[in-house]
Amino acid sequence: MSQFFQQVVSGLASGGIFASLALALVLIYRATRAINFAQGEMATVSTFVAWSLVHHGMPFWGAFFLTLALSFIGGVALERVVIRPVENAPVLTVVIVTLGLAVLLNGFTSVEWGSEVKKFPSPFPTRPIHVGGVAFSIQDLGVIGVSIALVVALGAFFRFTKLGLALRAAALNPEASRLVGVRVSWMLALGWGLAAVLGAVSGMMIAPVVFLDPNMMQTVLLYALAAAILGGMDSPVGAVVGGLALGVILNLTGAYVNFIGGTLRLPVALAVILLVLLVRPSGLFGRAAVRKV
Amino acid sequence: MVRRAFELAGFVVVVAIVALAPRWVSDFRAFQLASVGVYVIAIVGLNVLTGYSGQISLGHGAFMAIGGYTTAILMAKHGVQDLWTIPIAALVAGVAGFLFGIPALRLSGLYLALVTFGIAVSFPSLLKKFAGLTGGGRGLNLFGLPQETGGGVSVHVLGHELTNNDWLYYLTWTVAGVLFVGAWLLLRGETGRALRALRDSSVAAASAGVWPALYKTLAFGISAAFAGVAGSLLAISVAFVNPDTFPISLSITVLVGAVVAGIGSVLGRVGSYVGPLAGASLIVFLQAYASDFLRWIEKGIPLHADPKAPGVPAVIFGLVVIVVMLLFPAGVGGVLDALTSRVSRGLTRLRV
Amino acid sequence: MRKLSLACALVAALAAAAVALGSTRADPGVDATSILIGGTAPLSGEASAGAGVARGAEAYFKWVNAHGGVNGRKIDYRYLDDGYDPSRTVQATRQLVQQDKVFAIFNTLGTANNLAIRSFLNQSKIPQLFSASGATTLGRDFGQYPYTMGYIPSYAAEGKLYGQYIVKTRPKAKIAVLYQDDDYGNDLLAGLKKGLGGRQVAAKAGYDPTATDVASQVAQLKASGADTFAIFAFGKFSLQAFFAMNKLGWRPKITIVNAVASASGLMALPPAKSTEGAVSIVFTKDPANPAWAKDKGLKLFQTVMKRYYADGVKSGYAAAGASSAYTMVDALKKAGKNPTRASLLTAATNLNERGNPFLLPGIVVKTTPRDRFPVSQLKLQRWHKGHWNIFGKLLVAKP
Repeated sequence: MSQFFQQVVSGLASGGIFASLALALVLIYRATRAINFAQGEMATVSTFVAWSLVHHGMPFWGAFFLTLALSFIGGVALERVVIRPVENAPVLTVVIVTLGLAVLLNGFTSVEWGSEVKKFPSPFPTRPIHVGGVAFSIQDLGVIGVSIALVVALGAFFRFTKLGLALRAAALNPEASRLVGVRVSWMLALGWGLAAVLGAVSGMMIAPVVFLDPNMMQTVLLYALAAAILGGMDSPVGAVVGGLALGVILNLTGAYVNFIGGTLRLPVALAVILLVLLVRPSGLFGRAAVRKV
Repeated sequence: MVRRAFELAGFVVVVAIVALAPRWVSDFRAFQLASVGVYVIAIVGLNVLTGYSGQISLGHGAFMAIGGYTTAILMAKHGVQDLWTIPIAALVAGVAGFLFGIPALRLSGLYLALVTFGIAVSFPSLLKKFAGLTGGGRGLNLFGLPQETGGGVSVHVLGHELTNNDWLYYLTWTVAGVLFVGAWLLLRGETGRALRALRDSSVAAASAGVWPALYKTLAFGISAAFAGVAGSLLAISVAFVNPDTFPISLSITVLVGAVVAGIGSVLGRVGSYVGPLAGASLIVFLQAYASDFLRWIEKGIPLHADPKAPGVPAVIFGLVVIVVMLLFPAGVGGVLDALTSRVSRGLTRLRV
Repeated sequence: MRKLSLACALVAALAAAAVALGSTRADPGVDATSILIGGTAPLSGEASAGAGVARGAEAYFKWVNAHGGVNGRKIDYRYLDDGYDPSRTVQATRQLVQQDKVFAIFNTLGTANNLAIRSFLNQSKIPQLFSASGATTLGRDFGQYPYTMGYIPSYAAEGKLYGQYIVKTRPKAKIAVLYQDDDYGNDLLAGLKKGLGGRQVAAKAGYDPTATDVASQVAQLKASGADTFAIFAFGKFSLQAFFAMNKLGWRPKITIVNAVASASGLMALPPAKSTEGAVSIVFTKDPANPAWAKDKGLKLFQTVMKRYYADGVKSGYAAAGASSAYTMVDALKKAGKNPTRASLLTAATNLNERGNPFLLPGIVVKTTPRDRFPVSQLKLQRWHKGHWNIFGKLLVAKP
């Protein structure tokens, strides 16, 4: 039995990882109705920046917040330079541009920081805690805690601040927003900046667990997409619940379904995506979209 | 009328160039151009899906894998001659695509992109899992098998002796030509109009009596069959398959090639055959010569970059993709189509 | 009539001349001043860390060239990117052979990548030497593929040594294995089982190289109650395994970690409690291990890397590449003043190289036409207080 709980707990821990990147995806989706395939690679770049700062002697939290600021600027700049020109283009065009960006950034991290695995300092103690035969660490709790804190912060931002409202309005109804004086285009840039910040947080939470290398986020991205879809693409709460649920699902099927084992985790994630989209396309927490004809 | 003449003449010129090219280039270059042909087939297939029915696939690498493995398994384990495996690969991949097209009906735009992305990412794991059939990570070797036409050395065709590379070149491009004309005949009439109507508005199409579900799944099937043939020819020319032959980057590469080619150029127009040629050439040569490309840039702009550093090919590939998308969102095909339309309109006016 | 006989004589003379020329004409890739060899390495994609092997080899060749080259010829080592995708290895290798006309293929990285080009190279009679892969078939199947040879000890042989070590030190061990589910991990696992004789493995858990982490697998293995843990993983996954052990409070009596994952730079990262006492094999001098600080061979390595590949100074990949490049230079020297592919192959299958500066002292790189595992001697090492300590005598690693 303790083996079962151990698998659930370590599933929650890796689920926290998926959740944090899923949050960034959801934010971009809410702000721009697009999926950013470069989200994972942007997060990797941010994390390498933080690594460099720490490596050059900056204390962890200093590096953390400086990285967030730099990531925000970077996200806005990317939107202005590469997304803005294709803002009104078909979905496919935006998808391709973000895919190109993902490839470019992945190569860039290899060139700039090398492909060797690096250790990233953890903001939380990694000392294990044992409760009734089940082991976990403060770090696991920290990753999940940070995700939940981000959801609360985001929720408050979208609901209670003028900027948050403008952001939502710009995404839902750009024409009407423009009429009431919202600068829609800049709202998109702001969305990218915020998503880059979330991605940076996620990268810096993930790196101490899975180690830092240029490909750190490549498969995390698929799991994060699965988590976001499971929870509902436009629901931050859904992203976190979806991430945690996916982590547990993957661990339990891996440990108890012999055929799946450790090797069929990606196909399981894909099955989750397909199942959700076919049975309940809006996900667990998403609002069903009204299709305009 | 003038446009039609243009298109026909253009097609004849392209066919002539393709037919004569091996005379002008080295033996190895013929092999490289054969892989351009493989990508041309995959790109035309993707164009059928995205251009005609408006659906996106980020997972055509997986259909290529189905085709490639069909060929490899038939050759290595069932003693089937390589040429005969090509139509079977088309069939298997086509059926797989048709079946996938059914759930895909319920997924629109972005979500379809996500699901197909997921398929491409997770397909190699499945290939490894069924090692008994696929040979697992070690893959299947086809080089030198008696089922390989010419046994990798040379081939006699109609009294000519072709080198292995020339043989692969003519095989690939003949198949590409046949498939292109076939798709054009198929999509020229009723079916093509139905599909295009669907892309523009499914409601309007349905009210005009088009059954959307059938046509959309059909488009998926045809497109996947093209990818299957491309995968089959890739397996034949490389004479080896393993799961790493069909990574997610292959799907992305094909999609990028299709976008550079110009998504949605109507088959038969100049852009629809010159575009894929340009897109496929770009991805093949960019992959092979990324470091040389960087050295060439260095001559103009001193970047002090190390061309052999890991990651350089990716940076250049990504950069080219973004620049092409920003400057020519309609791709090479789109630019060419616009150009021929304008020129032919001009000519028509002159005559009048 | 006279005309005809004259023509006949002319033809005969030409033929004789052609034969005479043919016997001295060198194979492609060799001219008066240079020898062109080629290979592939992943400069892009998930395995791009492995590019260090090619770059380490390249650095050593450059150093040799700066010191006079091989019999007066400079070595031109051209390696192309294959992104670790075997179909691209095939295309790049064809380019090297058919377009660039290389003399031999050297140091191609990856098991499937080498298997994908093996038939082609053997049919074209081009040596495929010192492949950077531990697949047993590269050294074993010379009957079918006489032009192919690996370099490092085979993974199966490595696994077998671990099995024998466990049997010797802890006959009643209950063994759990974490392995990468590809040829590399499976070869190690199969070798381990062979080395264990009839004894069983209590639990095994595989992971896919695309996995995010392996904590779940380690928890599963711990639950089996095993007291011996073999980690057959790659780079960051072995680190994750040590971290998971630490988190779960699992202290096996013996921990084995395979050679590729055992670089000092990696081992120093996880908590010391989990790595302490881990055992691995070793055959190159680990540039990150201070034990070699005063070693002449390692000093040479550092001099070479500082000049030609600064990022490689502490890299185990670069050391592996440099050691095989050293042997390649040896083989090229032995292939004679006017090397041919045949003479290179003869040299490579009759090696008896002592004192390769990048391999452990005492290792002899030895091959015969019927024994084609160049590096088949190695030692065991134990991780203690942040460093590897080599122990015991040279062992023979043959599958």
